[in-house]
Order: sequence, then structure tokens, then C-alpha cells
Amino acid sequence: MNIYLVEYAINSLLRQKYKTIFVTVILTTLVFLLTSVFFITNSIKYELQSTVDALPEIVVQKIKAGRHYDLDSERVDDILEITGVNSAVARVWGYYYFANVGVNFTVVGIDEYEEQYKNSLNLIAKSLDFSTNSMFVGEGVKKSMSESYYKEYFNFIKPNGTLKKMNISGVFEGDTQLESNDMIVMSKENARDIFDMSQSRATDIVVKVANVDEIHTVASKIRLIFPDSRVITKDDLKISYQNIFDYKSGIFLALFVVSLFTFFIIIYDKASGLSSEEKREIGILKAIGWRVDDVLKEKFYEGFIISFFAYLLGVFLSLGFVYILKAPLIQKIFTGYSELKTSFDLPFVFDIQTLALVFFLSVPIYIAATIIPSWRSATLEADEVMR
Amino acid sequence: MKKIVYVLLITLLLFSSSSLFAFSKEVTNPTLVQVGKHKHWCPVCGMSLKKFYKTSHVSKQNSSTPKQYCSMRCLVVDMSQNSIDTKNIQVVDVVSQKLIDAKSAIYVVGSEVKGTMSKVSKLAFSSAEAAEDFSIENGGDIVVFDKVLQMAQESIKSDMAMVTKKKTKKIYPMGKKIFEKICDKKIELKNYKQINQLKAAIKNEKLCKPMKEKQLQALSLYLFEVKRFDNLKKNDAIIQVTKDDKCPVCGMFVYKYPKWVAQIFYKNSHYSFDGVKDMMKYYYEHRKDISKILVIDYYSHETIDALKAYFVIGSDVYGPMGDEIVPFKSKSEAKVFSMDHKGFKVLNFDEIKEQEVYKLDE
Repeated sequence: MNIYLVEYAINSLLRQKYKTIFVTVILTTLVFLLTSVFFITNSIKYELQSTVDALPEIVVQKIKAGRHYDLDSERVDDILEITGVNSAVARVWGYYYFANVGVNFTVVGIDEYEEQYKNSLNLIAKSLDFSTNSMFVGEGVKKSMSESYYKEYFNFIKPNGTLKKMNISGVFEGDTQLESNDMIVMSKENARDIFDMSQSRATDIVVKVANVDEIHTVASKIRLIFPDSRVITKDDLKISYQNIFDYKSGIFLALFVVSLFTFFIIIYDKASGLSSEEKREIGILKAIGWRVDDVLKEKFYEGFIISFFAYLLGVFLSLGFVYILKAPLIQKIFTGYSELKTSFDLPFVFDIQTLALVFFLSVPIYIAATIIPSWRSATLEADEVMR
Repeated sequence: MKKIVYVLLITLLLFSSSSLFAFSKEVTNPTLVQVGKHKHWCPVCGMSLKKFYKTSHVSKQNSSTPKQYCSMRCLVVDMSQNSIDTKNIQVVDVVSQKLIDAKSAIYVVGSEVKGTMSKVSKLAFSSAEAAEDFSIENGGDIVVFDKVLQMAQESIKSDMAMVTKKKTKKIYPMGKKIFEKICDKKIELKNYKQINQLKAAIKNEKLCKPMKEKQLQALSLYLFEVKRFDNLKKNDAIIQVTKDDKCPVCGMFVYKYPKWVAQIFYKNSHYSFDGVKDMMKYYYEHRKDISKILVIDYYSHETIDALKAYFVIGSDVYGPMGDEIVPFKSKSEAKVFSMDHKGFKVLNFDEIKEQEVYKLDE
């Protein structure tokens, strides 16, 4: 590596100040846009994936007149009889609309000694006091409640209009933010009280099946036993989550295509020819004794310095934008479907593949776009170029 | 206008009353004939007699104290273990809620009312008219005691299976949690001969912190039916494979198919296979000095002893090497699997024939 060539390349960049700045800005913006989009999609994908993974294998709901309806919790016993079922738990849960802040809370009732269908609930079951009116709330819920000055307790309005006072005994963290942010966990009795459900009823039943190959068989057996039920398997849920997500990523794909298109126009413009000034510079360099490979090396350094600098700048900017500023504007597109839910943070997912993809889309292409036309002029005779 | 109001009121009354009279087996003042603090619960299953009073039966063992059961099912279970005089059995009359002689009682079997510990309910009436009225309203057949007893004895196996599944999947784990969380760990289980005595002791001697009836039932069932036999059954054999283990028959890595692993242990060595089919092929060639054979249950993924397992041959479920022989813990599970997945045969380990194993590859 010839240090003088590098020095010359830097000086040459500084000499053409405005051009350098222009190219850097364009490249940085491109890298920034691409990486932010990828960071956001990766984070949300991760969040969704872990949410889906935490889901039970089968959920059984009762459908009455085309709507989801409470079911008899004794159905659990019939489901347990099916071979292949590991456990079945009747869940009591529902949404509670908190009008003051305009958000929906998910109220989940758990039983102290029953098998919990989620790991995060196991921890709560250990620390929650089931004998009193106490509850654990997610962080988002805590925030919404304290905005209305409910710091120590919260008054639920029951369907008959009376109030039910519940003490906040702690804040919990779930496996993923998407699920836990809007969640309130309390005993089944209290949850039933808030929703005015009778003791023998439940919202739905979650079924665990040890052998994943058997999920389908078990699901069809449940459908046979309870013709009025809707049986949702994990795969069904995965597909519907994926559909929402794919629709949103379509918007990003459009953005991605447009920015790439812009980038390639700039590249094409560069590659189609050098300005006469640049040509003359190459001619003079050759006249004072530079060889072709010296010229190409110098041009390579020039292109590499500018594009790599822009790449790093773009990546760092997007890291800050996505994970520190929480991706204002862009995130709205993705999380639009949960408008009523309290917002969630993007989990940090470092994906080397994405960074490599963006790197190879920007740096080598730009370098090629600077080297190829210079090589064309450098191979010509010096006097021909200068003329 | 007034007429409409009356009509409305009457229909309202009718509707509310029909739901009010929904059949409940619980009564406020049950007649409990057992002596002692354990009299509130059934000696066989431990369930509350008050809650299931209307299906309750009483037996007097030869000159000893009477036992009161929650249902005919528990009576039948007790009969199979102890000698009970069938002439001396009493049953609760649904109408008067008094104990009457079972021999003279008229039973309604298989009505809409759910059975206690059984798939069909068996309710007793002192008069034939009352039984007929009940069966007109709720369905079911009218039968005499001897016949009912016979029916209960015939159905006891399927009733037991139903309850066992519920217990192992739901109640025992719950009871274990309760025991570990709020109980004195030093309960001397050998002191209690009947589950209701244990229940009474837990409640009255404060062996555990106070709890609801449902939780008490789960706890006692766990202690009486699982914890008591803790030392007897120990299943410490668990299949473990390393990343280097290869199936000696087909040469594939075994760790990639944890659901299908099978192992044969010899005196000093052991081999892992990626399916029972390959294991059998090896087994037929090397039968000497085998200390144990382990396979994995299809449904629960638990390690089980192959010699005690049941196998389904020729199903539509494929293992890593195609058609497989699928192992099961219990015969009933194997049968269910065989029906679900078009199995050819349900076999013991000894019944698997070499020919049939090789035929799977064709």
C-alpha cells in the first residue's frame, strides 16, 4: 500500500469539496434508509417470532352466532381425555377499555396452582398474593394508569357500574414487550368479577401437545367433540401474524425499490463518463509518470474512503434512529394494527447478514462506478486524454 | 295492556324457574353416616359428600362402621377390594334426600344429569312414579339396583381410565404445587388408611395453610395416590445422546431426531438408533448380554422400557428412515394411535417379527 497514493486520494477528495459532500450525503441517506428499514423489520420479526413461539399449541374457543363466546370450563376434562394432550387449561381473560387514556388493557386471570401456559406467568403466580385484590401490571399499563394518577391502585368499572378496587402490587416483564406491555395479571376470581363471568365459565381453553406432529390430529378430535368450537392451532396463528407483517413489509419494499433505483441512477451517471476536468487530471498524472495501476489504485482509495465513510455513518445514524429514538414515523407503519394497544419498544437484534447486504449493495458498487471510467481514460495515451 | 304485562310476567317466571330448578347434586343438609372427622368425604375418592350427596351410597361392612361413598362407582371400587354385603347397601333418594334401602330403590340411569366419577349418572328414587317423572323430564332408563350394579361393574374400567387421565394431567401436578408451596413437608402418609382420613387431618390438624375444598381435594389426591408410592416407582433411565452418536445400522446422526431415538445397553457399551426399526434390525443380530432397551413414547416423549412398551407397526407416521415402528407407554394409547394413523398392528416387544421389520422397507 502506497501511503502517498492514499494521501493524494484524500487531498483529491478535499479539493472537490462540494462533489464529495454531495456523494457522501446521497450514500449516507441510502445506507441509512436501508439499514433502518432492515433493523425495524428484523426487530419486529424477532418480537413476533418470540410472541408466536410463546403461544400454546392449540386454543379452543366457543363460537355462538359467529362470535367468540364464553365456554363451560368443564370442557377441559373432555379435552384432557384425548390421547396426546399433555395439559389443558381454561383461561379467563379479556380486554378492558380505559377511556381516560383511550387504551385497551388485556386483563388475564390466573390460578395459583394450575399449570401456567406461559413462562412469564409462572413467576407472577409465585409472587402474586391471591387472597387479596392485588394485580401485576405491565409497564405500559403502569404508565397509562399513573397518567390518570392511579399510582397504588386502580378502580375497574364492572359491567353493572360498581367499582372494583385493585391494588397494584408490582410491575412485571414478559418474554416479549408486545405481549406484556398492555397486560394486567390477577387471580381468576378477580378477573371473573371484573368481566361479570360466572365461576364455571372461561374465555377459552389452551391445550398443550407434547408431540408437534399430533397437533393436527388432536385439533380435529376437539372439533369433533365440540362442533360449536373454533380450534386455532399455532400454525394458523403464525400464518395470520405473518400476513399482517408481510402486508406492512410490502410498503417497505416499495420504499426500498425507490431508493435503490435512485442510487443506481447516480451510479449510472458516474459510470457513463468522467467530466473533462477529471479526464485531464488523469492525463497529467500519466504524463508525469504514473502508471495505469497507480491511477486505478488512487481512484480505488478515493471511492473506498468516501463510500465506506458514508456506509459507517449511515449505519450508526440508523442505529441511533431506530434504537435510541425508537424510529419515529417509520415505526407507525408497522405497528399500526395495534393502534389501541400501548406502544412497545423495539428489541435490539444485531443481524450481521443485513449489514453485509447493505455493505455489498453500496460500497463495491460505488467503487466500481468510480474505477471503471477512470480505467477507460487511464488506458488511453496521455496526450489523447489531455487534448 | 295489563294482559300483556301478565303474559310477560308469567313467561318470565317460567323461564327463570326452569333455570332455577337446574339439577344439582349438592344439598344443604346431607345425612352423613360415617363416624369421625372424616365423615364429610368419600373414603375411596375423597370427594365432598355434601356436593355429590344425591348420588351417594352407604355400605356397612361386616359389623364395622359404615362407609359413605360419593357415587356407585366408588362403591364398586371398594367392593373389589373389600368384602361388602350387597344386601346391606343404602342410597340417597333424590326426592326426599333420605337414605333408603338400595334393593328397593328405582334407579334412573343415563339421564342428562352428569355422572359422578362416571360417564353415566345413576340416580335413585324411592317410588317408581318419581323415577318415571324424572326420566320423562331428563331422559334416562329406569332400572333396578342389581342391574345398575352390574352396569357399574362393567363400565368401571372406562370410568377409571377417564378419571386417571384427568388426574395425571391436571390434578396431580396441581396437588404437587400446593404441597410444595403451603404444606408441612413432614406429613406421615402411612398413618392414613383412607383418603378421607388424610383430608380430615390436613384440614383439622393444620398440616397445611388453609385452602379451598377444590385445592384440598387436589392436594390429598396427590399425596394419597402419588406421593405415598414415591419410593416405589423410580424411572431414572432417560435417553441421552451426544452429537457424535451414529446409528450403527444406517449411519445417520441420532441427535437430529430426538423424538425417535432408541437405545440398546450391553454390559459395557450401548448403541443409539434413529428409530425402533433400525434398533430391531440390530437386535436380531446381537441378542446376547443385553442389559436394557430404551425407547421414547410417541405422545409424551418420555423414555420408556421397550420390554414393557407397546408398538404400532405400519402407520402413516414416518420416522427419519421412513416407515417406522412407533413405541407407546400404554396399550390404549397405542390403539388410539393405530386408529388415527392407519396402523397395521399393535404389538408387544416380543411379538415384533423380523420379517415384518424388514417388510417396512419395501
